[in-house]
Amino acid sequence: MSWLVIARQEAWLTATARSVRLLAGLLVLVCAVGAYVFPVFDPGPHTTAHFGGYVSGWLGTLVPLIGLVVGYNAVVGERRSGALALSLSLPHGRRDVVFGKLLGRLAPVVAAIVAGALIAGALVVYPFGELALAPFLAFVGATITLGVVYTALGVAISTFVATKTRATVAAFGVYVLVVVWTELEAAIELALASIGSPGEGVPTAVEVLLALEPTTAYDRIVAGAIDPAGSVGDAWYLDEWVALALLVLWATVPLAIAYRRFAGVDLP
Amino acid sequence: MAAIEATELSKRYGTLIALDRVDLTVEEGEIFGFLGPNGAGKSTFINALLDFVKPTHGSVSVFGQDCQADSVRAREHLGVLPEGYSVYDRLTGRQHLEYAIRSKGADEDPVDVLERVGIREAGDRKASEYSKGMAQRLVLGMALVGEPDLLLLDEPTTGLDPNGAAEIREILREENERGATIFFSSHILEQVQAVCDRVAILQDGSVVAVDTIQGLREALGGGTKLVVTVDRTEPSILESIRGLEGVETAWLDEDGETVEITCRNDAKMDVLVAFHDAGVDVVNFRTEEASLEDMFVEYTGRR
Repeated sequence: MSWLVIARQEAWLTATARSVRLLAGLLVLVCAVGAYVFPVFDPGPHTTAHFGGYVSGWLGTLVPLIGLVVGYNAVVGERRSGALALSLSLPHGRRDVVFGKLLGRLAPVVAAIVAGALIAGALVVYPFGELALAPFLAFVGATITLGVVYTALGVAISTFVATKTRATVAAFGVYVLVVVWTELEAAIELALASIGSPGEGVPTAVEVLLALEPTTAYDRIVAGAIDPAGSVGDAWYLDEWVALALLVLWATVPLAIAYRRFAGVDLP
Repeated sequence: MAAIEATELSKRYGTLIALDRVDLTVEEGEIFGFLGPNGAGKSTFINALLDFVKPTHGSVSVFGQDCQADSVRAREHLGVLPEGYSVYDRLTGRQHLEYAIRSKGADEDPVDVLERVGIREAGDRKASEYSKGMAQRLVLGMALVGEPDLLLLDEPTTGLDPNGAAEIREILREENERGATIFFSSHILEQVQAVCDRVAILQDGSVVAVDTIQGLREALGGGTKLVVTVDRTEPSILESIRGLEGVETAWLDEDGETVEITCRNDAKMDVLVAFHDAGVDVVNFRTEEASLEDMFVEYTGRR
């Protein structure tokens, strides 16, 4: 249970860091504000199920940011400072270190999502809304999964690279992609229309490519399985279960690749 | 079973050879000094034991456990003070020790360890406020947790004043009496001389000597230096002294009246007799032990 010792220490170190507290507070605030304005700006129905579809766009922007910020310095920071030499002088494997750090850094991310959801849920239900418990829990679960994906991506970057500068650049690059990606489909449709081939829509290959990205996958899960007012396309690759499988792959494959490299390098 | 067993351990970085086929055996219960100038490869050797560095050839094991294939199990035997570590800035000294205790599954009281390494009063302060010497003591404390079979210490007295260094040596002796094997590197000769049963001298990635201090001394011209003040001398007299059995070297100092001779202990009288026979008056003489410094220079060609 070596990873548990590391996870415990890492959770404490992460949760007490000022930047993490700030971002976690921001997430809770966004959830609360979203829930507060939801009955005002949305025609309804004002249920916790439909609320998921209402805030998923906001969370799809903020949760990746939090995950990447929490994760990107996890390993490389200590590798450069020399604190990693202390941990690896103790009987911990490199696998324990990477896995323990991921778990430890996830703890505050998950805690912030749960806290935000509790507050938002209460605000939606009271005084005029309606509680739809199962879809709401599914929504919280999907959002936590999104948090896991981006924290794991951040930790993967941190495990793969050898300098903090590279980790910063890579994490920033990933985040820019996240922000740009969700706008790509609309941009491509607009471009197609302007060159005079409307109606045909985006080519399938491009659509598949666009669907691979985790935030859009999260949006499809919310629209397809949680929000009764939402809908996704009929194509198999737009199915919410495919989207969930994609999230699982994003949470595991990059980190596994990064670990394989990390396991074989000379430190620092 | 050997505490450390290295077989042809080699590490190459591009064209730089940091370790060149190092064979080394450290027996259980020894205090073993790993000596060499900076850059000789001492830390690379220790880092290979910790699996921080992957050897390009050869292998090294700790109590029979391969340090690469079975790294974690090998490290379960170790208490380590590594090279180039940093403490966790945001943890207190006590929290560092709690981390080490949990990691090793030990059940010591952190306060006892803090007391032992002499930083008890600083235990509840953040380690970022520690001086280099205090951090060194803290990490040594982490190494002591769980009564390890082998203490592996990379330059343990760096950042400590002479008193601190003496305290550390005392702790090492206590640990050795408990039954622990001690392996530590140093580029400072006195540190090694004061506590070690055996030493290895590393030079440019190769082990150039492994012996007891006494053995090294004997290997170096019998271990005694004779300093003789004479009223006059001639090259022929020095030649005849160099020809005596048991004499290694003899040379005239710059002042022109002091002759230094390194020789076996039992050859000292013969030297004095030879001066007398040549009609030279010996005004004064004294003997010195050949120092480790002399040996070190002899072996590594550096000063």
